[in-house]
Amino acid sequence: MRGTADLALVAALLLAAGAALVLGGPAASPREALAALSGGGAPEVRTIVFGLRLPRLALALVVGASLALAGAALQALLSNPLADPFLLGISGGGAAAATAAYVVLPAAALGVVPAAAMAGAAAATSLVWWLARGPLGPSPTRMILAGIAVNAATSAAILTMLALAPSPRLPGVIAVTMGSFASASAGQVAWLAPYVLVPAFVLLLHGRDLGLLATGEESAAALGVEVAIVRRRVFLAAAALCGGAVAFAGVIGFVGLVTPHLCRLVWGGSTRRLLPRAALAGAALTALGDLVARRALAPAELPVGVVTALLGVPFFVALLRRSA
Amino acid sequence: MTTLLYANALSGGYGGDDVVRGVDLSVGEGECVAVLGPNGAGKSTLLRLLAGILPASSGSVELRGKSLQAWRRREVARQVGFVPQIVNFAFPVTVTEVVQQGRAPHLGAWRPPSPHDHAAAAAALARVGLAGRGGAAIQHLSGGERQLVLLARTLASEPRLLLLDEPTAALDVRHQLEFADILGQLVSEGVGAVLVAHDWNFALRLAHRLVVLHHGRVRAAGQPDQILCPELFGEVFGVEVEFLRRNGGPLTVLPQRLARRGEGSVES
Repeated sequence: MRGTADLALVAALLLAAGAALVLGGPAASPREALAALSGGGAPEVRTIVFGLRLPRLALALVVGASLALAGAALQALLSNPLADPFLLGISGGGAAAATAAYVVLPAAALGVVPAAAMAGAAAATSLVWWLARGPLGPSPTRMILAGIAVNAATSAAILTMLALAPSPRLPGVIAVTMGSFASASAGQVAWLAPYVLVPAFVLLLHGRDLGLLATGEESAAALGVEVAIVRRRVFLAAAALCGGAVAFAGVIGFVGLVTPHLCRLVWGGSTRRLLPRAALAGAALTALGDLVARRALAPAELPVGVVTALLGVPFFVALLRRSA
Repeated sequence: MTTLLYANALSGGYGGDDVVRGVDLSVGEGECVAVLGPNGAGKSTLLRLLAGILPASSGSVELRGKSLQAWRRREVARQVGFVPQIVNFAFPVTVTEVVQQGRAPHLGAWRPPSPHDHAAAAAALARVGLAGRGGAAIQHLSGGERQLVLLARTLASEPRLLLLDEPTAALDVRHQLEFADILGQLVSEGVGAVLVAHDWNFALRLAHRLVVLHHGRVRAAGQPDQILCPELFGEVFGVEVEFLRRNGGPLTVLPQRLARRGEGSVES
């Protein structure tokens, strides 16, 4: 049963990836795109497939995997099914900083928007950590409450800037606040990869510890988890994954929250095995979401955050009813 | 008898305020020490200090002759099984998955459980009489069964010493007796135990020695027959009690009424 589900997951990932490369506008029809993928085809089709669609797909896969992995880890760390990078204010911090950069900076300096987003996510992370501090370190409850406060503040800041932004800058601001892979480039993916791989390794390394932390900090400590160290590492790693995602793709909702729950429904409770599956499922869901965003109302493009939410909500509702 | 855990002048608490003050305590192989005291006396805090989950502000704890700080956290967890009062199950997990968590101290970050790990978990589950319930969701179990599963999770790590924080607080009488039987058997096999209990008679059924805490300090310590007297209950718990002993069985304490002023100090 689990083996079959694993195969289905890999198949879904490959199908979503394949479809993202093959399906598209008239400039590169599926037949032409397939020809390009098998080494032939017209040069302009090859440029579209390998220069535009492939980086966009790669970014969607990396960002989706990052968000789902960060969500699964934070849910376990805080022993709370509602925890995700948004609830904790991390995404909000990144988005607020990126929005501010779009509104304030001259056009020539817009290359620093991703760096601003990462700095914003890091600042929000530090703020949540600092607000949640206590005699025995930050407690899960205080971290969630601090995250909600920081998230509310960043939302207010983003909406204010949205209201005041000069109109030429609005598309950029909307891409940040609703999520988009439209500006993906090979350079971005190359830049993001190491930034994602190290924290992902840290989270997978602590998979077993996270399973124990999901049952409470005292319970985890009793079974040998160095709670203070693991908590700091996991929180920083999840924040880094999320900061990287926001920096290059803006705010993409529901992937981090819903993907881990979907995987739990299919594969059961072990957190150690949940983490890699959540990463793969998040990658598949986001690649599929971006494909729908690109093609559903073509040539117009939907914000990918809207699509992942639309795909995620029915799953989430089903989950809610199932647990009732 | 080999001493497993030895605490000397142990103090500790939260945010700079000591809840436990200068407590001495030792427990050896095959010995059960019960910690009694009213609410707020520092019993649970003492247990956390003994488990090394809470750092001591002063004094020391030695595990098998070596300071608790000198052991790695995971090495402590292999030898000391701490059964906490509260364990969350925020996500659906099966009974078997919970019990297998007890093997975590023996596994590294990557190593999957070996056949021996699976066997130890299965044996622990059988020991608490739930061998057939491995596939059940923990959320669907009764409070009593859940407590037995938590004991099994701790036993799966094959500890030499158990630290139990009011393990029977939420159990019906049948499960209390079942729990006492299992614990008594473990102790007779050489496992040491420190048992925090509100139920005096449950503690007296199992304990070789008692430590009575009051305001974080040891008010009395020793074998039950030597230290238990009505004055102690009046002073520490603020109640009048009668003792009952039948046919050489364990001492039974029957609470009668609140102590009158002057006889016992009601908690300030």
